[in-house]
Amino acid sequence: MMRIETDILVVGGGPAGLSAALAAAKAGAKVDLIDAGTQPGGQYWMQDPVGPPSTRQQAEGAAAARAAIAANVTIHSGAEVWAAFPEREILANGPAGPLAFRYRALIVASGAYDRVMPFPGWTLPGVMTPGAGQRLAKLGGTAPGRRIALAGNGPFLYAVAATLRGIGATPAMLVEAGTARCAPARLVSRHPARWAEALQLLAAVRAIRDRRRGFVVTEALGGDRVQAIRIAPISHDGAIDTTRTETISGIDALLIGWGFRPMIELTALLRCRHAYDRDVGGWYCSADAETGRTSIPGIYAAGEVTGIAGAAPARLSGALAGIAAAADLGLVTSDFAHRRAILARRLQTARAFGQALGRLYPVPESIATLVCDETIVCRCEDVRKGDIRAALSGGTKGVAGAKLWTRAGMGRCQGRICGFAVAEIVAAETGTSPEAAGFNPPRIPLRPVPLNVVLAGTREGAL
Amino acid sequence: MVKRADAIVVGAGVVGAATAAALAESGRRVLVLEQGVPGGAVSGASLACIGTHMMDEEELPLLTWCCEAWAELDRRAPRFEYNRCGQLRFLRHENERRSAETWIGIERAAGLRPELLDPAEVQAIEPGLTGPIVAATWSPDSAVVNPFLAVRTLLDVARSGSADVVSGATVTALVTRGGRIAGVETSLGRFEASIVVIAGGPWTQRLAATADVELPIVPRKAQCLATVGTRPVIRTVVGACKAEGGVDAGYTQIQQAASGQVLFNTVLEGGVTATGSPEIVPEVDRAFVRDSVDTLLFLFPALAGLDLLRSWVRYEAVTPDDRFLTGPAGPEGLFVAAGDGGTGFVRSLGMARIIRDRIDGTTPPCRDDLYDVGRFAARAAA
Ligand SMILES: Cc1cc2nc3c(=O)[nH]c(=O)nc-3n(C[C@H](O)[C@@H](O)[C@H](O)COP(=O)(O)OP(=O)(O)OC[C@H]3O[C@@H](n4cnc5c(N)ncnc54)[C@H](O)[C@@H]3O)c2cc1C
Ligand SMILES: Cc1cc2nc3c(=O)[nH]c(=O)nc-3n(C[C@H](O)[C@H](O)[C@H](O)COP(=O)(O)OP(=O)(O)OC[C@H]3O[C@@H](n4cnc5c(N)ncnc54)[C@H](O)[C@@H]3O)c2cc1C
Repeated sequence: MMRIETDILVVGGGPAGLSAALAAAKAGAKVDLIDAGTQPGGQYWMQDPVGPPSTRQQAEGAAAARAAIAANVTIHSGAEVWAAFPEREILANGPAGPLAFRYRALIVASGAYDRVMPFPGWTLPGVMTPGAGQRLAKLGGTAPGRRIALAGNGPFLYAVAATLRGIGATPAMLVEAGTARCAPARLVSRHPARWAEALQLLAAVRAIRDRRRGFVVTEALGGDRVQAIRIAPISHDGAIDTTRTETISGIDALLIGWGFRPMIELTALLRCRHAYDRDVGGWYCSADAETGRTSIPGIYAAGEVTGIAGAAPARLSGALAGIAAAADLGLVTSDFAHRRAILARRLQTARAFGQALGRLYPVPESIATLVCDETIVCRCEDVRKGDIRAALSGGTKGVAGAKLWTRAGMGRCQGRICGFAVAEIVAAETGTSPEAAGFNPPRIPLRPVPLNVVLAGTREGAL
Repeated sequence: MVKRADAIVVGAGVVGAATAAALAESGRRVLVLEQGVPGGAVSGASLACIGTHMMDEEELPLLTWCCEAWAELDRRAPRFEYNRCGQLRFLRHENERRSAETWIGIERAAGLRPELLDPAEVQAIEPGLTGPIVAATWSPDSAVVNPFLAVRTLLDVARSGSADVVSGATVTALVTRGGRIAGVETSLGRFEASIVVIAGGPWTQRLAATADVELPIVPRKAQCLATVGTRPVIRTVVGACKAEGGVDAGYTQIQQAASGQVLFNTVLEGGVTATGSPEIVPEVDRAFVRDSVDTLLFLFPALAGLDLLRSWVRYEAVTPDDRFLTGPAGPEGLFVAAGDGGTGFVRSLGMARIIRDRIDGTTPPCRDDLYDVGRFAARAAA
């Protein structure tokens, strides 16, 4: 068991966490960074586990990790934070055993994860999230299939299209719920910094032969693997028009998702204030734009956990949180005010772009109608939509009530996968909003941890 | 929505749900008002062991009646994973033997069948319990139920007898008229009834105070841990032999749910009485996590590699003598059933029965004076 006392503890080694760590270390703080990945980088800067960086993104990420290490940041890779206790203590499970940290300030940069909505057939092998497909492609250069359908909504689909194209696996089909065409172009035109990236994504999208806008995948079909998909258009009133479905055969991989959800487990466990906005991923941790301060003194948040906006705002908000956390500990650099002002201005622009993009690709309001009574909603506990409906008509309420009565969200993933769906289903069934339906509050442990590790981590007295 | 009912039950925990079922069965139109969701407070967090072992000597007849009532409910509505798995209480040290033998004597005298087993006999019942215990008591009649499904089943029984359940209705005040209960004020408006039963767990005393009824209930922290689901490894309910001093002297409870999850908690001396507010539920504390895992692995060392999945904390309602306050209170028509002392799941059916008999004027199957709401005031005056 390793015990570490530090000034600033950063959780998350993506663009936000690495930038926060670097900024805080440069200001003179002792900084430790914990990240679950085998190498720092997070999602956007995800490193190749064996080879050297082969893309611009990987090169950027490798450089950011090098800079942090050069500034004396200690990086603990492959370590998952599973508990936070009073007295500013964080416990993690690392590759060499348990780690216990005592910090003066904490920066949470835990990123985001795929937003999933079940539909008939979604549990068939070959159906996965765009993030999982992206990961396969980024980490081993493996194509998820030979005739890939990419579906859902949001600009992330274009990024996945580009990655797949990069490994020679251009998808056969793109099924997008959104119909916006001019508005994204107008938005991009106002942000010259994004032009190069946009052109690259556009080229990747254009390379896809069959592109449908205003459609959703209503069903995945197949025996022991997905073989075909059924799609239907969204009509003018926003409903999914299942009278006009079309079957597309010859598909062997379906990458489908609805953007990302902020990973709020740690900030929620620490009781920081959270707010809800469907267009930035649902529940997110409220943080001051210029400092990353949350509602709890000494705790800062940066990157996607503060609302989905993309990698550029993640980097900038990370740097700002790092500067502020150091400054609040009395570590102020000479160019402090100047740097903060510049970063804050750039963050404002970058976040405005990211969030405006998110609002151009909203999740269809009617999305929960895709789920049928027999559709499994919670995979861990094998809970179907019909079970949830029965519980709600039996007198319970909200996400919490559905969980108690059906076990939806009680399994190994603790609702990370089904949380969005359960909230949307509850809202649709009871005539409330997904926000009012609430969420499954995270508890210790944040991730499953072996009992002997728990014991080792809690056995000795406090630090 | 019905704005008027024969009886209003405040709270849809297991006590409220059982009370609603009992009142609906005797023909009343019942309205259950729950501020959160049914079973969402203490009841849904419960380990829900249904047993008589090492509980309370004077309550043995009631506890025995309750165990039979749960078995009967299972026969009528087998939907809550009722499992008569038996209960073991392990002894870590020789000096616990006297306490174990005393309890066994008391329970045998009441017609029950507990016995003292040596470690080899324990392993025949619970093969995974390989830790170095000196002995264990065995109570074969103890059962466990799924706490959410039990609440749900009781509410179904209530509803089939014309009760309504309203979730998300916070009762803010009792309404009295001419010294009689007339209804309640809630976040959803006023509801009228000439009978109101508060089964509000650790919130009960606050609501009672709105009719100037003082109840000596304090909230006490209760915590629990759960692993991921695994193959069957624990067959019974495993607890620590009860020591002098009751719950405050520490306890252990370990069992495996139908989901395959191992549910467990250990509170060592001095850890339990920490009071707090039921509104602000904190996380489990570090020492609790350590003691619970330590005890589990002491008994079942083969589980060391199993993953911990979840923890939770609740505030349960405690009275000075750890017994319920159940019966009429204050203005005519007002009843209370709360103050579970940490083992209210098993007792809930009995408390519901007492309330029903009090309202109907019938004779309860067991003595109910133990739960008299005014007992502390009466004692203080004497
Ligand atoms: C699956 C997926 C793929 C993505 N791919 C791209 C892409 O290709 N292009 C793009 O522009 N955007 C992508 N994104 C969007 C992404 O959110 C980026 O905008 C960017 O990576 C955000 O940076 P961040 O630092 O906020 O979070 P992240 O980069 O997500 O970094 C967060 C880090 O925190 C770690 N972490 C979280 N909780 C814990 C814990 N309890 N203990 C230890 N470590 C923890 C995570 O493992 C992760 O390494 C992707 C998102 C996801 C979810
Ligand atoms: C970890 C743990 C293990 C346990 N193990 C066992 C065991 O093995 N065996 C056993 O017998 N017991 C056990 N218990 C105890 C048992 O669970 C409780 O005694 C029992 O559930 C109490 O039920 P209740 O209905 O009184 O309380 P609660 O379940 O708390 O119900 C009270 C309800 O009233 C509602 N309410 C309160 N005030 C208002 C208001 N003003 N308006 C509207 N609604 C209101 C609340 O929201 C709540 O839902 C355990 C408890 C815990 C926490």
